[in-house]
Amino acid sequence: MNRLPADSSIISGSSSRKASSSRRPYWACQLIGWGAHTAAQLVAVISFLHLPWLRAALEIFLLNGIGLLLSDRLHSYIRHRNWSPSPLRPLVGRIIVTSFVLATPLGLLTPFTSVRLLQDPATLPDSVPTFLLRLDPGLTVALNWINWAAVFALWLIIYFVILSMRRRRFAELRQSELARALQQAELRLLKSQLNPHFLFNSLNTVRSLIADDPQRAQNAVTRLANTLRYTLGAGQDEKVSLARELEIVADYLEIESIRFETRLSIRYQVSAEAAGVQIPVMLLQTVVENAIKHGIAELPQGGVLEIRGIVQDGMLQLSVMNSRPPVILPKAEPGTGLRNAAERLRLLFGPTARIELDLSGAEVAVTRISIPAQQ
Amino acid sequence: MRALVVDDEPPARREMRRLLAQFPWLEIVGEAGGASEAQAQIENLCPDLLFLDIQMPGGSGFDLLARLEHVPRVIFTTAHDEHAVRAFDVNALDYLLKPIDPRRLEAALAKIKSADSPAPTEARPALEQLFVRDGTRCWFVPLREVQLLTSEGNYVRLHWGRIRPLLARSLAAVEQRLDPTLFFRANRSQIVNLRFIESIDAGLNGRLHAQLRDGPEVEISRRQARFFKELTSI
Repeated sequence: MNRLPADSSIISGSSSRKASSSRRPYWACQLIGWGAHTAAQLVAVISFLHLPWLRAALEIFLLNGIGLLLSDRLHSYIRHRNWSPSPLRPLVGRIIVTSFVLATPLGLLTPFTSVRLLQDPATLPDSVPTFLLRLDPGLTVALNWINWAAVFALWLIIYFVILSMRRRRFAELRQSELARALQQAELRLLKSQLNPHFLFNSLNTVRSLIADDPQRAQNAVTRLANTLRYTLGAGQDEKVSLARELEIVADYLEIESIRFETRLSIRYQVSAEAAGVQIPVMLLQTVVENAIKHGIAELPQGGVLEIRGIVQDGMLQLSVMNSRPPVILPKAEPGTGLRNAAERLRLLFGPTARIELDLSGAEVAVTRISIPAQQ
Repeated sequence: MRALVVDDEPPARREMRRLLAQFPWLEIVGEAGGASEAQAQIENLCPDLLFLDIQMPGGSGFDLLARLEHVPRVIFTTAHDEHAVRAFDVNALDYLLKPIDPRRLEAALAKIKSADSPAPTEARPALEQLFVRDGTRCWFVPLREVQLLTSEGNYVRLHWGRIRPLLARSLAAVEQRLDPTLFFRANRSQIVNLRFIESIDAGLNGRLHAQLRDGPEVEISRRQARFFKELTSI
């Protein structure tokens, strides 16, 4: 039986979560089903066959009680073995075999019940239809056996119809949950990539520049547009040359230096060889944004931001160094961005690619990135 | 009305000044680029109104307010932290989103102007409102509405309706800044708002007990009872 492990874990996960709430409908179905069967047998045996009613009733209650017990054990067994409603063919085989197996003890009890009275004309009550009298005792057992098997088969059919309906509903629910979660994740990603704080502050800067220095305002709009276009176009698994990424970083930093004026000074030291190396798109940009946000923006006197890139032993060694306040304020957890970046690097370049944040310097933070140098 | 512009980005400050030039009744007395600078400016210049950025180096706009003795009226200006402002349990507070819409600015200033009361004439005006931060929650507390101030070690517990924030100052320090015609030192650890006293009972030991409206009973110490009688002419 080749079932997808993921699929079965989803189903069993949701059914175990709902275990307590689904017990009540299960027992309701059980009691209604077996109750109806008991009632039908009582009517048949007492008003149709006119057997001694007290004894017959006790027997019917006992037999149906055993049936209820057996079907409940069967329910546990099916859950334990994780029988699936599909494919249909093996299920039909299972239902037939199981029904006859479970019907066996009940069928074998037949000779000890009041039905036996039908074989003995001396004890036979009046007004019993005569065709029943001619039946051989062995045949009676067989007929009863088949009768009980049919009852269990019906039980199993109802059971699997309900089970497959429930599974389909869970699957649909799960699907829509997944779709919604995915949408939300995409939206969050887009929002964080757009960096609304930067975007609106930049627009405010541009508004101010329009009056102060129209030419710089034009320049700022161009650079802001470049940054936005690059950000919106960047896919999660895309790679670009360091040179291309640096262009955008420079555009971004240009806007930030208009905002912070003298508070921000920038240095670049990137070798020509390093500039040709492929890196994940937006990686450096994100690191630089963080350096501004947690570093320069927190310093009243401002600070220095330095980007260095060299190729050493076949690895691109990229570092972003920035001034930072001596005490890191316990704001948002800074770890998640770094963890995401590390995960991306590992997926794109394997285990040799690394990113780490070094806060050992008192007033400086260094982010170091190592990536295998592929031109 | 005198205003101070607090923002860490020089272009943003210039933009604010330009926008405010449309309102001649508003005088911009200065600007600051960070929380500490702003605190000094506020203490020197005593502005009536602050245009306050939230994210700044050396402490946020909220940090600044919590440090102030005298809290002017505040209009927050922010690019993207409006959720931080909205998270307040605030009465009468405005915020503007950058880039600032001149129409929104006009509306905010109209509100401020209409609520403007005559400026206090004393050199050191009695406190009108306090900015209180307790855990993650912040309030502007109008002092007239505070029923009772209770000393708790080095802190002061404000009884402001159902809200009981803790203020990181001593009772003596707060008392200096309170309006003496409104607040009365009932005993060593409690100051009551006279407007909230519902009834006065003389206890068995001859001490006075003041029952506060919707609040606790406060015992007036023997030493203070004399002043209390003078003050309220009982």
